[in-house]
Amino acid sequence: MKKVMQMFITVVIAALGLMYLTFVLNSQQGYSGGNTLTVYNWGDYIDPELITKFQQETGIKIIYQTFDSNEAMLTKIAQGGTSFDVAIPSDYAISKMKEQGLLIPLDHCKIPNLKYIDPRFLDLPFDENNEYSAPYFWGTLGIIYNPEILEGMEFTSWNDLWDERLRNEILLYDSAREVIGMGLNSLHYSLNDTDIDHLMEAKRKLDALSPNIKAIVGDEVKMLLANEEAAIGVVWSGDASEIIGANDKLDYVIPDEGTNIWFDNIVIPAGAKNVEGAHLFINFMLDPENAAQNTEYVGYSTPNMKALEYLPEEITGDVRFYPGSDITDKFELYENLGKKMTAYYNELFLEFKMHRK
Amino acid sequence: MRKMERLSSIYLVGVFIVLYAPIFYLVYYSFNSAGTMYSFEGFTFDWYREVFCDTRLFIILLNTIVIALLSSAISTVIGVLGALAITRVKTKRFRNALLTLNNVMIVSPDVIIGASFLVLFTMIGINLGFGSVLISHIAFSVPIVVLMVLPNLEEMSPTLIDAAQDLGASRWDVLTRVVIPYISPGIFAGFFMALTYSLDDFAVTFFVTGGGFSTLSVEIYSLARRGISLTINALSTLIFLVTLLLVLGYYIISKQGAKPGKAGVRE
Repeated sequence: MKKVMQMFITVVIAALGLMYLTFVLNSQQGYSGGNTLTVYNWGDYIDPELITKFQQETGIKIIYQTFDSNEAMLTKIAQGGTSFDVAIPSDYAISKMKEQGLLIPLDHCKIPNLKYIDPRFLDLPFDENNEYSAPYFWGTLGIIYNPEILEGMEFTSWNDLWDERLRNEILLYDSAREVIGMGLNSLHYSLNDTDIDHLMEAKRKLDALSPNIKAIVGDEVKMLLANEEAAIGVVWSGDASEIIGANDKLDYVIPDEGTNIWFDNIVIPAGAKNVEGAHLFINFMLDPENAAQNTEYVGYSTPNMKALEYLPEEITGDVRFYPGSDITDKFELYENLGKKMTAYYNELFLEFKMHRK
Repeated sequence: MRKMERLSSIYLVGVFIVLYAPIFYLVYYSFNSAGTMYSFEGFTFDWYREVFCDTRLFIILLNTIVIALLSSAISTVIGVLGALAITRVKTKRFRNALLTLNNVMIVSPDVIIGASFLVLFTMIGINLGFGSVLISHIAFSVPIVVLMVLPNLEEMSPTLIDAAQDLGASRWDVLTRVVIPYISPGIFAGFFMALTYSLDDFAVTFFVTGGGFSTLSVEIYSLARRGISLTINALSTLIFLVTLLLVLGYYIISKQGAKPGKAGVRE
């Protein structure tokens, strides 16, 4: 009994001691005061120095929390157990949140820096007049390839992927909209096409691609391409810039037929406790200098026109990541296709995945 | 015969290599100065330094330990009481039913436990954070403690209790001087099992964290999304070492407890 009691008391004392230490550390960091702002963002999707800078400028302490998918974020916010003051979902997730009434409208007077955003990236279908969201980063879906392995092959079109020399070389994301969209794009159809004949045509075309596909993967696509374990991938531009950062032999192209354009926007979720601070934060992140610094850290494309002036020419002059408006005009956002059509896309994608080579 | 032994030991070594290779691969690259998982350039402690310089990460580490210690201590108390109650039940069917209910909690997937806790907490309006994580960790640890303590209780001869009562021990005396010392190996084993389960747990915690509170496994998961930084490797290595130490501690204690002839003897 004595031994058991001793152990029990030691454990409880140790736990309480550690709790006290955590409390001290937390208050040193300023997390326990009332003046905090909870930011809910993708992992490693902000320059940590900017968080420090914001804290110094405003005296508001930031509690930074991360999510790994729009779905996870949606669930956490809809479930309502915790309050987040700022979140950064992607375009389609924003329209879903809007439908479910999970967003607080932005007060544009409090975000004067919105004027620095390129008009091309404002007032988009998923959030008209930017009532609820301010653009954070944007990007495209394109082809990344390794010219060294492919001995100088060039890519300009989605249809180049069907080349017979590319047997077992292509990596795709495990995601229905991207893959079916690629098939539709290669046939010059819209990414949001709901015509069954067009979709079947795209599916048949994708089946013909299967001998060339090495694997259908998730985030590990970055490592596989950087390690040269595959020669080609169909990836998001953000991932592409990261892969090129790790292995500069690779090159990224946006296919001529057009492709998907995606946005990650800053929103204020319903249930936010510090709405005032959230506006300050959004305005702070849209400040051209801060946006430029953030862009250099994250490596995605910034929608902030003024920020481009603070960025080195080698970043802003790169048409792969900052294409001109003649090219962006051909891009399409994913529209919400409704439950039935989404299910049909998923079914087609499943059939494609099961298609034997 | 000897040949067979050698074969079986080779087989055993093979199995262990397969089991531990991924962990050592990860540990090996945590010392890589190149910052990637594929080409080893030079030896460095940078990633570990980065882990220790990060106050946020340190707070999360402390959170994880506090949760593990508290939840396993509390669940040990509840679990021991539960095990005592189960052995007291006279009807065999009812006892088996209780035991099955206990085992269902161990067998059911973490995801389901986590999701149902999330629903429960939201329904009764408990804010997600330290409290919710602690409660759910206690909940999945209790059955483990019960399972570890029960065999000890069952093998204890009822005559020991009769003898103690004959010699004038009160019910409290019987509990504290006879029963608990006898089952203490099981109590310690249960405590350490609960501790490792709590430290490891990802799925349940993932559902019920919030409000700026996070534990290591959840944090590593969100860090790994970008999958580039080797601080994840460094951090995972540290957790692996801690878990290893805990298992060693458990082993040493269970070995001590296995020494016969001390049951019920006052020290």
